[in-house]
Amino acid sequence: MEALSGWWDDYFWGSVVVLQVFLASLVLMVIFGLIGAAAKLSSNRVAQKISGAYTVIFRGTPEILVILLLYFGSAITLTAIAQVFDPEIKFVDVPPFWAGTFAISLIVGSYATETFRGAFLGVKPGSIEAAYALGMSSVQVFFYVRVPEMWRLALPAFGNHMLSLVKDTALISIIGLNETLFVAKQAIATTGQPFTMYIVVGLIYLSVSTVITLTVMALEHYGNRHMRIAA
Amino acid sequence: MTNAQPLIQMKSVGKHFGDFQALKDINLSVSKGERIVVCGPSGSGKSTMIRCINRLERHDEGQIFIGEIELTDDLKDLNAVRREVGMVFQSFNLFPHMTIVKNLMLAQRLVRKTSKQEAHEVAMHYLERVKIPEQANKYPIQLSGGQQQRVAIARALCMKPEVMLFDEPTSALDPEMIHEVLDVMVDLAKDGMTMICVTHEMGFARSVADRVIFMDGGEILEQAPPEEFFGNPQRARTKLFLSQILQH
Repeated sequence: MEALSGWWDDYFWGSVVVLQVFLASLVLMVIFGLIGAAAKLSSNRVAQKISGAYTVIFRGTPEILVILLLYFGSAITLTAIAQVFDPEIKFVDVPPFWAGTFAISLIVGSYATETFRGAFLGVKPGSIEAAYALGMSSVQVFFYVRVPEMWRLALPAFGNHMLSLVKDTALISIIGLNETLFVAKQAIATTGQPFTMYIVVGLIYLSVSTVITLTVMALEHYGNRHMRIAA
Repeated sequence: MTNAQPLIQMKSVGKHFGDFQALKDINLSVSKGERIVVCGPSGSGKSTMIRCINRLERHDEGQIFIGEIELTDDLKDLNAVRREVGMVFQSFNLFPHMTIVKNLMLAQRLVRKTSKQEAHEVAMHYLERVKIPEQANKYPIQLSGGQQQRVAIARALCMKPEVMLFDEPTSALDPEMIHEVLDVMVDLAKDGMTMICVTHEMGFARSVADRVIFMDGGEILEQAPPEEFFGNPQRARTKLFLSQILQH
């Protein structure tokens, strides 16, 4: 354990990065998932095709590959664009935080697309019809009737997606994100104690996932409050 | 709107579901304050007809006018019509995730842009009217079917519609709950609400309706005031139908 002294700080800030990536990617993942599901369920052929391609590509390729492609791909693209304006520029560095967050949001968002789609289909058409009959617009029906009824059905699978997001954060260390696994690698290089260092990383991720799991359980309880006969 | 101008007018309306012709040459005109009961065997197009009136179904032939407005794909006109046309469904269709009072407030807030306080007052007013104000903070599933249907009626009334459509409002109810819903409907009729009711409650038709319409095979076969309709039906098909539902 004494090997750990001097590394606690780094682990702490690494954990903060994990949480930051989680929160940012959670927001993006929900947005991608909702747009994807809405597109798949729309009557617009083009939207259906684009959303279909999205889920095929991001569910069908290794996550680490997507992270690498997005990181280096966006750096190369941005460099090329920047060089048009200023030929002196050699390389535009993309922050690993945002490249990585964007990548895992896209990946998990593609799974969420399918989860949300299924959940939207599970909403009883009666209340949607009633909402239209009351004169609500389709946007109002979406946000006030479809989504609030859908999320309860989506929640169990959505909890899994949140866990995937957290664990995928570790993958972002490969492009140089300062999260806990990255810290561990540095610590191992200095102390030569891989087991201890990796166990700490494991415990950090485990505690974050436990909090998420408990939160999802609480949300499920809340989401089903109107399904209990006794008030 | 004067009485001369019909509130609802259907002119040669037709509707197909694939090869199946659900409605054939429907001509119907309803004036303000009129109470219409529509009956007929299942699959006769009754529900389809009233669902066309607020465009939950699109008609594919003829024209439908609500007041001055013709029902087309124009969304602005459509929402203007839906604000004025209240609808009550067979299966209540309350929003399950909202309390009763929120069910009544939602469309007022979003569609009528009523303030929160006013929406709440209006909601409580109509809950009193259907005699269940004490259920305001419960969820739909915690109410009986009859109570849920009364909430659904109150929800439609909160929008202060010009006309109310009832699509078999008592068909999904246990027998002992039917009368509590019918009582509310009779009250509404007494207050002069324009109503079109698809129902097999012939007692209700006799006591409340100005006109009873009989449909079969997607067509209006017969329409007459209730005394005439029940006392002296003209068509053989109507006689057969009445003898079947009135024999008990």
